Parts: sequence; C-alpha cells; structure tokens
Amino acid sequence: MSDSTIQHHEDSRDVTFRVHRFNPQVDSKPYFDDYTIRLEKGITVLRALNYIKEHVDASLTFRAFCQAGICGSCAMRINNMSKLACTTQVWDELEKSREPDIIKVEPLRNLPLIKDLVVEMDPLVDKMKSYSNWVDSKMSEENWGKKEFLVSEAEFLKYDKATDCILCASCVSECTILRANREYVSPAVLLKSYRMNVDSRDSIHEQRLAGLVKDHGVWDCTHCYRCQESCVKHIPIMDAIHGIREDAIAERGTKDTSGARHAEAFMEDIEKKGKLVEATLPIRTNGVVWTMKNLLPMAFKMVLKRRTPPPPPLVKSTKDIEKFRAEFKEMTGHVAKDHAKKPGE
Amino acid sequence: MKRYAYYQSCINESMTREVDRSIELWQHDLGIEMVKLHESTCCGGSNLDYVSPKHFALVNARNIAAAEKMGLDLVVSCNTCLMTIRSAKKKLDESEELRSEVNEILKSEGLEYRGTSDVRHLLWVLIDDVGLDVISQKVKAPLARLRIAPFYGCHILRPSSVLGKDNPMEPTSLDLLLGALGGKTIPYDHKNRCCGFHTLLVAEEESLNVAAEALQEAMDEKADCIVTPCPLCHTVLDGYQAKALKRSGRRGSIPVYHLSEVVGLALGYTDRQLGIRRHIVT
Repeated sequence: MSDSTIQHHEDSRDVTFRVHRFNPQVDSKPYFDDYTIRLEKGITVLRALNYIKEHVDASLTFRAFCQAGICGSCAMRINNMSKLACTTQVWDELEKSREPDIIKVEPLRNLPLIKDLVVEMDPLVDKMKSYSNWVDSKMSEENWGKKEFLVSEAEFLKYDKATDCILCASCVSECTILRANREYVSPAVLLKSYRMNVDSRDSIHEQRLAGLVKDHGVWDCTHCYRCQESCVKHIPIMDAIHGIREDAIAERGTKDTSGARHAEAFMEDIEKKGKLVEATLPIRTNGVVWTMKNLLPMAFKMVLKRRTPPPPPLVKSTKDIEKFRAEFKEMTGHVAKDHAKKPGE
Repeated sequence: MKRYAYYQSCINESMTREVDRSIELWQHDLGIEMVKLHESTCCGGSNLDYVSPKHFALVNARNIAAAEKMGLDLVVSCNTCLMTIRSAKKKLDESEELRSEVNEILKSEGLEYRGTSDVRHLLWVLIDDVGLDVISQKVKAPLARLRIAPFYGCHILRPSSVLGKDNPMEPTSLDLLLGALGGKTIPYDHKNRCCGFHTLLVAEEESLNVAAEALQEAMDEKADCIVTPCPLCHTVLDGYQAKALKRSGRRGSIPVYHLSEVVGLALGYTDRQLGIRRHIVT
C-alpha cells in the first residue's frame, strides 16, 4: 500500500484549500490564497469553507444556503469541475487532486465575477426571461381556479427529469460554446425551454421555438456533453437539446437555419449513398457565397496536400446500397405511420 | 491474430485517409487485424438521431449487425462514430420494441441485431486486447524526446453513460498508451475539452475560438505536438489551425498527429509511409 493510500484511509488530516480570491474594490487581478486546516473524514467542501470563514479568514466570500443539495447556491469549481460544495466530500476530492493534499476552489465560469467565489446570476435569469421559460397558460383567465388541466403520466415523463434542475449553473459554467461566446443561450436555458415546450398546458410553443432557432440558439450547441456530465442532478441535458432540435425540424422543416440544413444533409446523404458527401456539406449548410468567403483559402491548402474530400460523383456508395435504400425507405413508411397515429407530435 | 470488424468512418475515407492507411501498416505487428466493413453506412454523425430517431436506430443496428454476422466486435477510430453507434446500441439494447421493429426490416438483408458485438474505439483495443506491455516491447523508435499534449476529444469520454471507459473529466487511457510508446504527456486543461468541430459550419466563430484556446494552451505548455484519437478533432486542430490562431492573434504553429500515426512512428514507420506529410501543419 502506498503512502498516499494510507493517508486516504486516515480519519483526520491536514488539507489545503487553494481558494480563488478577488475583491474588485482593492485587487487589480485575482489571486489564490492557501488555507491549511485539520479536517475529519466525512466533511464536505462547504463545511470546510464555513470553518475557514469562521476561524481563519472572515473576508472569504461565497454563497451557500440549504447545505443539502437542494437550493443550488453553492455551485463552484472544485478541482477544475463545477459542482455543489455542499454535496462534495473533501476525502473524495483529495483522490482527484492534481497536487497532493491540495483542493483547488474557484468560482463558476462563464458568468461575471462579483467577489472571490461569487458570480453574478443575472445573465442566466435574463436569458430565462428572453426565451419565455414559464408555462404561458392555454386556459383563458376567467377559467383560472375553476377548471383544471389533466396531464397524463406519459406527458409528465417527458419533462420529469428536466424539472429536477435547481438552477445551480454548473452546466452553464462548463459549457464550451458559452465560453466561446457569452451570447449563447446556455444549456440550463435550453433545458428549461425544452421542459416548457413539451408541456401541453403551454400556449407559446411556436413563439418560444422561433426564438430558440435564432442565432446563438439551439443549433450552436457543439455536442460536447460537458453540461450533462457536470449536472449535479444527473439530468440528461443533451436529450433536451436534441429534443428541441427534433421539434424544430418537425415543426419548422429543414430549410430555415444553417443548423437544420446541416442536419438534414446527413439524412439525405445516408439515404442516397449510405455515406456522407463532405465536399458539398458547407455549400448545402451555408450556400455558395459563405463557402467561397470562408473556406476557399483553406481549400487551396487542402488541394496541395491532397486532403480535399472527393467530389460527389466520386463518393463510392456503400456496398449493397440498393438493399440498404429499400430498408431505409421501409423505415420512412414506419415513421409516416407513427406520425399519422400521433397527430401533432 | 485477433480479428475485428473495422467500421469505415466517412471522414477517414475522404479528408483523413492517413488514419486507415497507418492502421493497415502496423496492425499485424501488434497481432490484430481490422477487417473492413464495406457494407457499413454513415453513422449519422451525431445529427441523424434528432432528424429521425428511427432511421438512426435502423442505420446503426445494421452497422452493428454486420459485425455480429462475422462474430466480431466493431472497432471504430472516430470518436463521434464511436459515441453515435454506441448510443444507438444502448437504445436498441434497452428497447425490445425498437429491436424487433428494426430487425423486421433488416431481415430482408439476412441481418439481425442481437446485441452480441461490442462497439469499441481503436484506443481501447490497443490497451485492453493488445496490452500496454506488449506494445512497449514492440516499440522500435520511442517517442522519448516529445512533450505530447494528449487531446482526447469529447465523444470518447462523454456522455459517460454511453462511453464509460475513462473518467470523463480526468481521462488517462491516451496518456497510458502514449507512455507505452515512450512519450511524455503533459497535464493541461484542454485534454478533456472540445475541439469545436460540430459547429464549424453552423457557428464558425465560436468553433474557432474553442480550437484556438486548445491550441494556445498546448503551445503555452511548451508541448511539441498534440495527439488525438479522433479524426474530427484532427481536422479542426490541424486543418483550421492557421485560421483559428490568426483570429486569436497568436503566432506559431503546433503539429497534430493521429493516434494511429504515433503508434506507427513508435513502431518504426516513417512519416511518409504513415501519411503524416498530408497534414496541413507539418
């Protein structure tokens, strides 16, 4: 057994918290403070931070409330991953630390920093508002309190998991595209939009969907799955994002956005050749002008290196393509029948 | 010689042909044989699943069933194909209704999806079947002088419910393999991050920002090269490198190698044989 393994089995040990500090009133840039404290096994990161604030440095600033993984206030980056401090065991984190006995604690990313570990949540709230993420009731006002909606279990199951979201913003902090552009809708907002859009009591499905397919919306997600992996409630957020895309294609067709045209190209090529025709993908997604402007200089380099994808006539169809096409067509028949059975879905 | 059904990814048949070429060169040296699955089709590239979930299930049930008919595991060398085919497999394994619907259609071609073949990445086969010890014994030209920035790519790690091989935020498999080849890997934040490939044509600006950040971190950490097990990541980090770095105002460049190429280099093949000269950054 190695020394570190022995240490991990100890009931009490010295642990250093390397904590991000920044007070905009006095500091020109952020820095890290190390706090080394003796801790008992079984303690959470939040309790350790509370101890530091009470006994070591009262100026350390962080948000926390319920201490039970329900309110979502204490989300922060612990050892490079966004999570709740109140449900994270110090001993578990020590196993993951890159430097022995040191746990790194930083504020969430992709949101403006206020102080130390506290970030501004307003941008997230503002996006929730701009995508109308509430149920806008189908029932007329005069019937409120008199009639009720009946929601089937099957319908409830569609958004059951999405309603577990506690708005902790861990997914927001881990999002790749939000990091590249703060205008992006963000995973938490997409999850909430999905939840509202599959609710039969809601009346603004079309309007919300029209907003979601615009620039910086649902098509900008790059499928990195970091949101889903960091979700403290284990919500399959990508299923919701894919759900909105599926809905967008079903309701709005495949021609209105570059994202939908791009997705449709896969379907077309598979049906026709069984293989993707990469050479024409940029043109089919964004048109000739965009392709010439954005990809022509690179295309020259690719030609020189013989790296260009083959032109469409030279893309060899998959073996037994005729049989495959017949199967694909048969499934198209099944899908049409499904749609006929479930109108509006 | 252990045999596998080898899935032919669209990109490896067009832009990144050097991947399959290098695997063909060294496969027998490591006692494995990739039998090309000529009847396989495009997996849907993480797009078909929301255009038409049922076609998505059919197409990939057929891809896997073709491997099952040969009694072999399906091996993939593109991360997105891996994630896509494995997520279809998960859906098929979890739903008898979906399985029987696709099997009813596949019957006409003499195929049946049973769920007997695993779907695995080439990297996993090298580690789990060939073994790191065997690989290091076969190394003729260790990558000893190289400081390597391993770039795993998303779809070999996440969603972990579908992939499940590595810790999705602290992966080690590629580091272990590169270590067995005699290389020294560096720790850096982007090793588990995204390359931006899937939004290149839809949100190009964002994708280039994502790529630039990854390239810059590897360069800041004084890596000699980046190695990736995914041809899509390679296409962004190599093909779009100049464009991404220009946007971010960063000078310089860094070579990006496929996993299959560095295996070939360590086994004594030349960059010309392996197709490395086809890269944009050389």
